[in-house]
Amino acid sequence: MKKLILTTLLSMPIILTAQIDRSIQPVAGKAPVINIKDSETFTLDNGITVILSENHKLPRVSFDLFMGSDPRLENNKAGLADMAGSLILSGTSNKSKDQLDKEIDYIGASLSADKSSITLSCLTKHMNTGLGLMSDVLLNANFPESEVERIRNQSKDGLISMKSDASSMANNATVKVNFPNHPFGEVMTEESLTSISRDDIVNYYKTNFTPKGSYLVIVGDITKQEAIAITNQYFSSWSGNQAYKNDLSFGKMAKGNQVYFVKKPGAVQSVVYITFPIEMKSGDKNQLPLTVLNGILGGGGFGTRLFQNLREDKAYTYGCYSNVTVTENGSWMSAGGNFRNAITDSAIIEILKEFEVITSELVKDEELSLTKSSMSGNFGRSLERPQTIARFALNIKKNNLEEDYYKTYLQRLDAVTKEYVLAMAKKYFTAKNCNIIVVGNEEIIGNLTKFDSDGKVDLLDPFGNPLKEGKPADITKEQLYSNYISAVTKTQNQKELAKKMKKLKSYESKTELTNPQVPAPFVMMSYWMSPKIEAEKVEGMGMVLQKSYSDGKKGYTFSQGNRKEMTDAEVAKKAKTAGVFPELFYKELNLTLTGIEMVDGKEMYVVKQIDDEGESFIYFNKSNFLKEKMVAIRKQGEETVESSVTFGDYKDVGGFLFPHTTSIGFGPFTLSGKVTSIILNKKPDLSSFK
Amino acid sequence: MKKLLLSTVLLALGSTVYGQRKIDFVEYDLPNGMHVILHEEHATPIVAVSVLYHVGSKNEVADRTGFAHFFEHLLFEGTVNIGRGEYSKIVERNGGTLNANTSQDRTFYFELLPSNKLELGLWLESERLLHAKVDTKGIETQRSVVKEEKRQRVDNQPYASFITEMSKRMFLNHPYNWVPIGSMEHLDAAQEEDYVNFYKNYYVPSNATLSIAGDIDIAQTKKLIDSYFASIPKGQALNLYRDFVNYSDGEFETKYKIAKSKFDAKQFMASKNPEAKKLIADFQNKPIEIKRTQKDTEAIKGIIKEEIQDNIQLSGLFMGYKFPEQTHPDSYALEMLNDVLSGGSSSRINKTIVEKKQMANFAFSFNFGLEDAGMGIFAAIASNGINLDDLQKEFDQQIDLVKNELISQEEFEKVRNKFENDLISSNATISGISENLADNHVYFKNTNRVNTQLNEYMKVTREDIQRVAKKYFTQDTRIILHYVPKAK
Repeated sequence: MKKLILTTLLSMPIILTAQIDRSIQPVAGKAPVINIKDSETFTLDNGITVILSENHKLPRVSFDLFMGSDPRLENNKAGLADMAGSLILSGTSNKSKDQLDKEIDYIGASLSADKSSITLSCLTKHMNTGLGLMSDVLLNANFPESEVERIRNQSKDGLISMKSDASSMANNATVKVNFPNHPFGEVMTEESLTSISRDDIVNYYKTNFTPKGSYLVIVGDITKQEAIAITNQYFSSWSGNQAYKNDLSFGKMAKGNQVYFVKKPGAVQSVVYITFPIEMKSGDKNQLPLTVLNGILGGGGFGTRLFQNLREDKAYTYGCYSNVTVTENGSWMSAGGNFRNAITDSAIIEILKEFEVITSELVKDEELSLTKSSMSGNFGRSLERPQTIARFALNIKKNNLEEDYYKTYLQRLDAVTKEYVLAMAKKYFTAKNCNIIVVGNEEIIGNLTKFDSDGKVDLLDPFGNPLKEGKPADITKEQLYSNYISAVTKTQNQKELAKKMKKLKSYESKTELTNPQVPAPFVMMSYWMSPKIEAEKVEGMGMVLQKSYSDGKKGYTFSQGNRKEMTDAEVAKKAKTAGVFPELFYKELNLTLTGIEMVDGKEMYVVKQIDDEGESFIYFNKSNFLKEKMVAIRKQGEETVESSVTFGDYKDVGGFLFPHTTSIGFGPFTLSGKVTSIILNKKPDLSSFK
Repeated sequence: MKKLLLSTVLLALGSTVYGQRKIDFVEYDLPNGMHVILHEEHATPIVAVSVLYHVGSKNEVADRTGFAHFFEHLLFEGTVNIGRGEYSKIVERNGGTLNANTSQDRTFYFELLPSNKLELGLWLESERLLHAKVDTKGIETQRSVVKEEKRQRVDNQPYASFITEMSKRMFLNHPYNWVPIGSMEHLDAAQEEDYVNFYKNYYVPSNATLSIAGDIDIAQTKKLIDSYFASIPKGQALNLYRDFVNYSDGEFETKYKIAKSKFDAKQFMASKNPEAKKLIADFQNKPIEIKRTQKDTEAIKGIIKEEIQDNIQLSGLFMGYKFPEQTHPDSYALEMLNDVLSGGSSSRINKTIVEKKQMANFAFSFNFGLEDAGMGIFAAIASNGINLDDLQKEFDQQIDLVKNELISQEEFEKVRNKFENDLISSNATISGISENLADNHVYFKNTNRVNTQLNEYMKVTREDIQRVAKKYFTQDTRIILHYVPKAK
């Protein structure tokens, strides 16, 4: 009954208010006053600056302790600081890691650390327990050897996975090209990881985690009196050397646009970053106008030029953004996104165009006011989080800003003119000296040459280092094959070779393949019988896993219990190169000698073979012409996959050289093989292939 | 001894005060069926305006998967009164931000605005509900954008297809079979009538919850809501109005046997012509039936084990169990069980599989709760060279342990403390509050659950946790996916 009345009452305004004109955007009410609460600052005798932002909305509190040291070059130990950071919570001289984890989780708190900070967040009622654990870590972290090795192994796997993550590879390339000889440009590799010792880590911690120059930021449900008491209780006994200060460069600007490419096999999209360093350190008076400029270009939001052009107009991407990162130790711009292979180059054209326009023309009033409104809205919303207030206070201290820097933020934002924005663009941005980083499918490299002012795309490895480059071959394809054949057949000329091959009637070999994950070895048997019979069989776990047979007239393959007859064309193709040394028939294949490359530490001739299944590469050792490796890249639908076979330990059998070790790899999965027997000129038993 | 004492002290603390901040709110229905929830707080001069439409990918037909999410993108294109591309610009120009997301169960739109722009937010959302308008350019653009979204978020991301692969095998006879991103072919096949029908069937007041939180005055806000939302026609009269707006004279007359000119174009609902009046009245009384899906309780048939090749370097193991819907009473115990297994560094899975045995770089479990069913998922990225079957045995050992033995009192207290911490910390932002309120109304039919949730967790006993482990971790019916690097 009550509800009925309510409904009736509510339905009345329909008639009364149906007058609103929906075609008119409503006008805003009176602008609310934005209040920025003050935060408190005090120092401890050992040099910690404490910043407190009280907020009693929720009964919780957080403590962020930031170190004051600048980053330093790590050279051949790149990644040291990060590794030390991930080991800080590995135990103390009082508590094992297990105890520490248990006690933190027990109070529902979170304690985390990285290379330059330790953070605790918990309910206020658990504050003392939490701080006890935090200060134990700070004062007594002891980096047990076992944990160092565990994190090393985990990092090793991390580096492996990174090779399938396009964004990480693009980030590596970005810092490498923008910041050579600068701590920002150092990226951990497999080698640098190996050379980091526990002593390095302990030393890093000792010299960088020092109270001098550090900041402790406290936010939440705590009073100033309590804060003074607990900081003295838990942090005053901490001591250490002066913070390390490093005068770092602004990074290196490219001369002309430079394209850097990182290969990601099978990629369906490219990650594109157009990037350059910016000569600015945080706290610069131009930082705010530069942020306005970036806001118009692509700094978040739906209304930016990059987003409107590349997504809303061209539909090239889910999102295209630009970011300006300004820090105390170096700053840079990066603009880009993820784009499907076919339009990657078109996307780069559009992004560069936007850089060109914004560095040469005044922005529109409408854009400027949109960005300013959006930024002032962001500013207002950010005040909802008490962390923001504390961050303001921290920035003021760290960057020597005026005390009212944030209180006058909105006024200063409002004062930015379009002329000033253009001046910022001319001073800091460029469309002509950009590093253009692309991580993607190799098939698109050709489309990128046009962007490089030197007309050459630099290839980088996943860590952002130059990909070991090849040089042109010093012999012809014919010479290479003739040298290889003469090496493995131990003959000097065509006549001798023909005579020796004529006597070879059959071949049989047995190879055992193992992998730590596979309990018992696989056994691979290979057969050839003059002239065209070839057969192969892989057995494992008491079963035939794979089998193939062809004799020049017919053939089949057998895999996972299914037998499939070969087509006439497939049989003919196999017959073309049937024999112990298929290289004798190299003229039948579509081969190119592409050059000499450093592979696995050796100089090798590289031969590229193309057939209808895809591409493969064959590597011959330059010093003895022996075949060392084959890598096949096969198309699978829209994508490509890679597999490889290596050949080693060549030994004489009946006057010929045969490899006696091999490995077969796909992705990180590798089977290692040993050839246990090779029998020549004894008719093999092929009954199991009938 | 000392340790025991400590536990007792903390237990005492934990069991006496559940300091979850009370969220005050008012809620009511508009005559057209729209549900309204309002929360007033003045700490910061901002307001969150959100509308939850109770439609997600589970309402899609099997040959139009991905449609609900695609449609969400289209609803940013523009309206009768807002030009193409203007919708988001208006928000940003007014110092706000906006976004939306689509799940299996719902589509959620929101604006965060300075509090003096509340009316703007209401106007924008009422336009979305009343006047959505999409042209061909908009459709084609968003179709491509959504495809890029899929490439970026799923196809080009290592392991990212696992929810898709899991759902496909977990829900054979329920639309959870597919995930919100859906199929690109289906999007290509979408026709105009699909858009029109989706809008008419699901984007209606009786399927929508308007939730507003922040620096508002409740009485004033109610008045504005009356203007912008209570005036939206009820029942099928809304679709009659939409046809009136979109159809040509001829089309309209053919369909309704009455000329458009008989209606009042300015004040449609107040049309004076008797014929028009009657039609409107008839259509107002015709309710819009929302097609709801059924709970999915079908068990997995045996052990479904499959290998999936992906562009990855390290193998991954993903294991799934059928869980009940998120509103099921067992959900609380299941979530606490998950925390024993996988919450924090000291959790069982992290301690054994990652740290002690070092068989995985990451290993964790999580509960994926939905309206009609749920999934319990175990996931691990194996260390290089570790066999996935061996990794699975480690998970199984942990599962057997929680099934066969009560968790320790200390572990139990840890989990309770964790939930207390998490729930106190939730509802820290007004956008979070507006979303939680709407979710609790729609899924739990109990908006006040935002204030009582912690009590439900505190009722769970150690025995409950063991009971649900036994009930739902069914080793003979589950899905096991092996993610391996792509080979030839």
